Amino acid sequence: MTAATERQLPPPPRKRGLGIAGRRRLLRVIALIVMLVYTVLTLFPFYALFVRSFVSTRDAAQLHLWIPEAAEVSMDMQVGNLGVFYNLDMAVIKDAFGIPQTEFLMARTTLRQVAEKYNIPEQQIKDYFEGFYTFNGWRTLLTGSLYGTTFWAALGRTLLITVISLTLAIILSIFTGYGLSGLRRRDQMFVYNIYLLQMVIPAMLILLPQFLIFQWFFRLFPGYNDPGATRWGLQLLSIILINIKGTALSTMIFTAAISAVPKELEDSASIDGASSWQYVRYILLPLLKVPIVSIIVIMLPLIYNQFLEPYVYLDPANTTLLPFIQSAVGQFSTNFQLIYSAILASVLPLVLVYLMFRRFFVEGVMAGAIKG
Amino acid sequence: MTYTRIAQREGVEQNTTRKASVLERRRILRDWLFILPQFSLYVLLTIVPFIVAIPILFTDMASFTDPTVAPVGLRNFTALFTDPSVQADYFPALRRTLVFVVLNYTTVYIFGLTLALLMFEVGFRGGFFTIVYLPLMVSGLAVGYMAVMLFSRETGTANLLLRQLGLIQTPIDIYSPEGTAFILPLLVGWRYAGYNMAIFLSGLLSIPNETIEASIVDGANYWQRLWKVYFPQMLPAFILATTMCLIGSFAVFDELVAMGALYVNPEAKLLSILFFTYGFQVNRLAMGMTLAVITFVPLVILGVFLQRLQRRLQY
Repeated sequence: MTAATERQLPPPPRKRGLGIAGRRRLLRVIALIVMLVYTVLTLFPFYALFVRSFVSTRDAAQLHLWIPEAAEVSMDMQVGNLGVFYNLDMAVIKDAFGIPQTEFLMARTTLRQVAEKYNIPEQQIKDYFEGFYTFNGWRTLLTGSLYGTTFWAALGRTLLITVISLTLAIILSIFTGYGLSGLRRRDQMFVYNIYLLQMVIPAMLILLPQFLIFQWFFRLFPGYNDPGATRWGLQLLSIILINIKGTALSTMIFTAAISAVPKELEDSASIDGASSWQYVRYILLPLLKVPIVSIIVIMLPLIYNQFLEPYVYLDPANTTLLPFIQSAVGQFSTNFQLIYSAILASVLPLVLVYLMFRRFFVEGVMAGAIKG
Repeated sequence: MTYTRIAQREGVEQNTTRKASVLERRRILRDWLFILPQFSLYVLLTIVPFIVAIPILFTDMASFTDPTVAPVGLRNFTALFTDPSVQADYFPALRRTLVFVVLNYTTVYIFGLTLALLMFEVGFRGGFFTIVYLPLMVSGLAVGYMAVMLFSRETGTANLLLRQLGLIQTPIDIYSPEGTAFILPLLVGWRYAGYNMAIFLSGLLSIPNETIEASIVDGANYWQRLWKVYFPQMLPAFILATTMCLIGSFAVFDELVAMGALYVNPEAKLLSILFFTYGFQVNRLAMGMTLAVITFVPLVILGVFLQRLQRRLQY
């Protein structure tokens, strides 16, 4: 050890030339460059996703770094080809131009012939197809319906589950923390050790028996119960129950925070005649802002981005955002423009929330990591 | 006389302690009542599934609605050595999973540790933290589709860009065995970079400043400081990152679905996909559960061991 340090002591003269201040500045510059490169690499996939949601499948084999100009639609194009290019159904095209569905449009008819035959202005036809060039993905996603549900309904269910789960999880976790902080150390550790198992049990391991348990209580399988409000409600309820069952982290954070509150506070509250429920609601809750924010920023992405459980538990017509997108992919497996639009649409809400409240996220995550 | 007084006083004391213990007991009961709602839910949904699963492992239950369930003894367990169809499913998936776990564990250090050290040396930067943590807001499913978008053979944006810049000659193909094996951990590591960075950074921040200053005064260079001062003191952080990565990578699912593991891309069929398929698609429920238990129970035991080790080091 001493030999090693002594060997280090006389540093090579050339390195000395920089001096400590110079070396620190060099380190700073290198660190900044690394940060910059990493930032670009991190943001690039998001940018590429944004651009690709506007690039039609036909043009996907070329590199686009910005939304491509819509190509001029030639009036000599054949209707059938356009349908394939823009992933449009012939019935949809007929509807858009007011052509009766009973009319038979040959796939090889050119647009000019269509315009002449049905007396439609050429510009209207051009505008229609150009609109589908850039915005095909977004239009199909936001206006279409799939397996009896729409994008907006799926998004609504996701938000519903997220809000209810977060609220209930926080309330129940505060109860757990309050109860645990009053127990003896031995009992506290007993409960806490059982909660710790949650961190090492992967969802995949208990997925199948967990589903079986819900099956006993709720009878979720097709055939046991007709599709209806009750069945759909129970399905959503099972997802919420999985989300609010409590984690090692929430238990730990709230127990630590509530143990730190002086016991005298509760004694004085009870002397003033407050019940333990009133104590929790009016005195403890306002003191727990920091751990609550911490739990929200950690659990929000997990619940919003949940895929496995909704994919298993929910009917296709009653599904949340991510399984909805997955089923859209199965349906339109060639329309990548739609797929990327859907992915971007699913990512965007949370990213916006994250950027708006980034201060809370950074603080909450660091607080959680120190506990974890 | 004094004797009776003492006896009386003792009686009074006994009385008050009994009263206190009644109050105390009532308080403890109330505490348990507060714990109970979440705890019973937790036990029902996390611990009870193990108990429910045990009898099923010894039957031939094919699906959740199987009307005829017959006991088969240990056949599900021995199938791993005797049944070629199970072997053909399980062992390639196990191999792919192990490759993924190793590569993914590497990315924990490439992304998480490097970024944490960088942040530690130049001081905490909220803006950069925001960027690094951003991918964690993206669902696993979206990360999988982003991988497809960037590295499809013909249409991948990254492929097209790298070829335009002349950095690669032949495009990377995400559906090839090597492509799946390398790109998946890369993207998963990218996604969890912020999480791992937070773990390592909190480990670094918990090191007492005196030890770092002392090592600088003693003339330790950066490399020596890293190995002799930082790493030994942030051992709990290493163990936590290891536990999370190990459990997380064995259970990776969403990303694989996005890469077509359920239907078109056999290279993305890892163990979790296999359990899912057995349970919900090909009517081999009991077999799937058995494989899951065989695979995961050693992992859970290892995880518990790592957790105890971490806590012993921390306190």
